[in-house]
This record gives sequence, C-alpha cells and structure tokens, in this order.
Amino acid sequence: MTQSYVPKISLQNVGKTFTVRPTKDAPLGSTLTALDGITLDVAAGEFLTLVGPSGSGKTTLLDLLAGLTRPDTGKVLLDGKEVTGPGKDRAVVFQQYALFPWRTAAANVSFGLEGTGPDGKRLSRRERAERARTYLDLVGLAGFEDRYPHELSGGMKQRVAIARSLAYEPDVLLMDEPFAALDAQTREQLQEELLRIWRTTGKTIIFITHGIDEAVYLGQRVAVLSSRPGRLKEIVPINLGDRTRDGDVRSDARFVEHRHKVWALLHDEVLKAQQAGHTKILPDGTAPDETPQPISGKAA
Amino acid sequence: MSAPTLTTNTHSTTQTSVTSPTADDVTLRRSPAPAAGLSRIKSGLVNGGRALWRAGAILLFLLLWELGPLYLAPASTRVFLPPLHEVLAALGSLIANGQLQNHLGASLTRSASGFGIAVVSAVVLGLLVAWYGALDRFLNPLLEVFRNTAALALLPVFTLLLGIGETSKISIVAYAAFFPVLLNTIAGVRTVDPLLIRAARSLGLSNFTLFQKVILPSAVPTIFTGIRMAGTSSILVLIAAEMVGAKAGLGYLIVNSQMSFLIPDMYAGILAVSLLGLAVNYLLVGVERHFSRWRTAVGSRNS
Repeated sequence: MTQSYVPKISLQNVGKTFTVRPTKDAPLGSTLTALDGITLDVAAGEFLTLVGPSGSGKTTLLDLLAGLTRPDTGKVLLDGKEVTGPGKDRAVVFQQYALFPWRTAAANVSFGLEGTGPDGKRLSRRERAERARTYLDLVGLAGFEDRYPHELSGGMKQRVAIARSLAYEPDVLLMDEPFAALDAQTREQLQEELLRIWRTTGKTIIFITHGIDEAVYLGQRVAVLSSRPGRLKEIVPINLGDRTRDGDVRSDARFVEHRHKVWALLHDEVLKAQQAGHTKILPDGTAPDETPQPISGKAA
Repeated sequence: MSAPTLTTNTHSTTQTSVTSPTADDVTLRRSPAPAAGLSRIKSGLVNGGRALWRAGAILLFLLLWELGPLYLAPASTRVFLPPLHEVLAALGSLIANGQLQNHLGASLTRSASGFGIAVVSAVVLGLLVAWYGALDRFLNPLLEVFRNTAALALLPVFTLLLGIGETSKISIVAYAAFFPVLLNTIAGVRTVDPLLIRAARSLGLSNFTLFQKVILPSAVPTIFTGIRMAGTSSILVLIAAEMVGAKAGLGYLIVNSQMSFLIPDMYAGILAVSLLGLAVNYLLVGVERHFSRWRTAVGSRNS
C-alpha cells in the first residue's frame, strides 16, 4: 500500500484516568488508569485494527478519538488539529448497532444528514432520502428502506448502522467491536463487505476487536494493547499479499504466521488481565471488578 | 396439522368427523383445494367459537340482569334493580329527549379540558424533571406527597377555593390526570437507552436536538401509557365530583335520578358512564398503539 505519510490521526502520549465512585472498602474513592502513554499515528486511508484483553481501555481509546471524552494527559490530533469534541468528520459504529428503533432503515441512515452540514447547507428531504438509498445500496440493503430495526436481523442492523455512519461522509470510521454480536457466517460476510467499502470509499478505519483472526484479516496493521492500564504493546504490520484474488486468505501461511504473532503478544496480556479479574470499563468510567486502590496509589 | 385439530375438538361441538393428523396430511398432499376449504371452515368455526367465548361472560351478565329481577328477586328489589329492558328503555327516552346528550356533553367538556391541561403540563414538567437531576431531587419528595394524596380527598378544598362551578371540576380532573402522565414521562425519559444517546452525541448533536430527536421519540410510548391511565382516572374523578355538586353531567344525572326515585334513569346513567369509559380507553389504546408501532411486535403477536 502506498500512502503519503501525513498522519490522519495522531495520538501523542495519551492517558486517561477515571475516578471510581466511593465504595465501602475505599470511602475516599479511587482512581482507575484506563490508558497510559499511548503514542500512535494512523495514516489517511489506513485500516488499523486494535486488539487487547478485556479492560485494556479499547473503548476508552475510541471514545477519545470520537471526542466523547477528553484525555487527561497527552493529545489526540486529527489532521494535526486537537480533537475537542465530537464531529461529523468522524463516525462511530457500535457493537449493539445503536439504531433508533422508531426510525425506519432509511430514516436511520439519514439521521446524520438532518440539520446543517459542515458547509452550512441543508439537505432537502428528497436529497436525504436519495443519499440514504445510495448508502443502503452500498451496504447491500437496497429495498429495505422502509423496514424498522426490529424487522431486521443482527447483520442487517449492523449494515444499516454502517450505512448511517458513511452517509454523512466522515473521513474516519471508528468501529467498536461491530461484528462481535453476529454469528460466525454473518461476521465473515460483513468483514468482506467492510473491506470492499473501505476500498471503494478510502476511509480511514480504526477497528476495535477482541478477535485475533478478525484483526489480522481486516487490518493493515494490528495494534496490540497491554492489560490495564492500557499501553501500546506492539504494532504488527500485516502483509497478506494480493487480497483481491479469490481464495481462502485465512488458510494462507502468511495469515497463520501473523495470527500466531498477534496471539502470542496478546496471550500474556489476557492471562494477566484474567488473573487481575479485569472486565469491561463501563462508559461512566467504573469497572465493577476493579480492586479499589487508594487515590494516591499507582496502578499495579 | 395437529394443533388446529385439537382446537377444533375443544371449541366446536358441531364437528362431524374427527380426522387424525396423518389423514389430514394425506388429503393435503393429494388434493390441496378441498383441504384448504375444509381448513377455512375449521378456522371459521374456531374463530366463531372464540368470539362467542369472549362475549360469553358479558352476555351471561346481561341475561342475569334481565332475568334476575324478574324471576329470582322479590318484588321489592325489582324497584331498586330494574331488569335490563327497563333500563334500556329509560336510556332510549333520555336520548330521545336530549337529556343524555346534555349531560354527556357537560361531562366530556370538563374531562377533556382537565385532561388536556394535565397532559400538556405534566409532559412539560416531566421532561424538565427527568432532564435536570437537581430539579428532580428538589421536587420529588413534594410530588410523592401529592401523588399519594387521593384526588377525591382534595375535592372539598377545590370546592371551597374554586366554588362549585366548572373551574373546580376541571381542576380536580386535571389534578387526578396529572400524576400518571408526569410519572410516566419521567420514567420514559430515564429509560432511554444510553447507547442511543452516545450514538447521537458522537454526531455532535446539541442538547436540544438530542432531546427533540432521541429522548422524546424514545419516551413517547411510555408517556402514552401514562396518558391512557390518566384518561381512566379523569373520568372516575369527574363522575365523583359531579355527584357532589353540579347542575349537569353524568354524575349529576345518576345522583339526581336516585334522589328523584327515577331508578331506571339512574342505571341508564351508570351504563352511559361505563360505555364512555370503555370508549375513552379504546381510543387511547389505539392512539398509544399508533405511536408505538416501531416497538417489537412481540406483545401484539401473542394477543
């Protein structure tokens, strides 16, 4: 892949600490370091996958990129400018689809098109419907415009969610384990579709997953995070040769080799995380499993 | 195939031939057309049976009302509990001379105004309370006190302060209808899926747009449940208020007929009240369903 190396996204020594609500054991409250000293550049048009054990701060990192939270240390840069809040230059795709159940597929896709756009223009109802149709078509859902989310399968819902993110034409797609809730067959199908969409649209994609296979299959590079506090352990460049030819990439020797490498990197971290009993950090910054630490103490 | 056969057996006594499931399967495979006709007749019988069963309790009740006073009760009771046909006749003449329409109109005007005031103010306050946590913590204890004070216990207060005219009746209806709407609005806003809020926030939506496009539509079904409950309680309270002091309305019709010893008229009034309640409830259920169309159809499939 040839890319002009101007980083689209640049993380510079990014750290995030949460204050945990006071509990019986720690009446003063405690802190939880989710991310620590992450430095990472992502090129424009790159597909980067991010793996890490549970509680390694993957979702926190995505929230920082989306501008839903601000880092405590360091900077998150987008096109060289610091990210200060959410914006339509980035789109988030969530694991649980996050479709608006009272809106049809087409109305969901055009959600981000309502109101004034970045150029100060307002799309008419007809233009929005047109755009929604185009993007539903792109994700292979032509003819499903008028269906409500509860009438769609999990895979179709995630397709709608992807179409919704693409519809307002962001540069960056942030995906938080988007295929984790799908069955294996649907997941493989959507992975392939995502690669196709990535090739046709040229978006920069940051894709969080806990599946090593998925990370290696999709990413041009795989970033491996350590167990809590999340630090960048290693970035594994993936080279699977010519991906466009038909064939079972997953059985390719190079795929197996890359897969093993990521597995080995992740294995120790997963063990560490399991021994510490880490699970997901909730959006409000609490981790139900976390052993309370005194507020001054550093994370072990 | 076995399921319909079973239901036919339990619901229809006029079934001519008991066919085993396997025999049905064979018929189906050989000649689909007659089998389809047969199953249509069967399902017709099943549906008819079900409708009869559903109406059964009502019919039985009406029959008891008609025959009980005539044959079971002593003659003295018959005066206080006239058979159904006398009540229906009274209802007919009340409609013919326009009295019922007058009373119904008075009641409807009052309950609709009170109900309308309650819905608008309760939805607005509910949205504010649910959105601003501090306001909620401040108001909640007071709201709990008012909510648990039976509306009718305050009827004398309303009458003393606002007189026996329309204002006091509309006010008490509004009071009674206010709390179900308020509490459901608060609950509806609170139970909005946080993921949807995150998704909307990631698009950089302002608070107001978030409210208008995510929180309100998501809370609408819960709000309508409150509105339906409010509809029922507004009629209930209104009738009681009209019984205490009014010159028109269904509650007045009932009490006045009792005092004038026009017992069939009294029952006609009661019947009108229950029909009005049913109609209001059906109307509101319909509206509620219309606004909740997008909800998973699990409930409607089972009913």
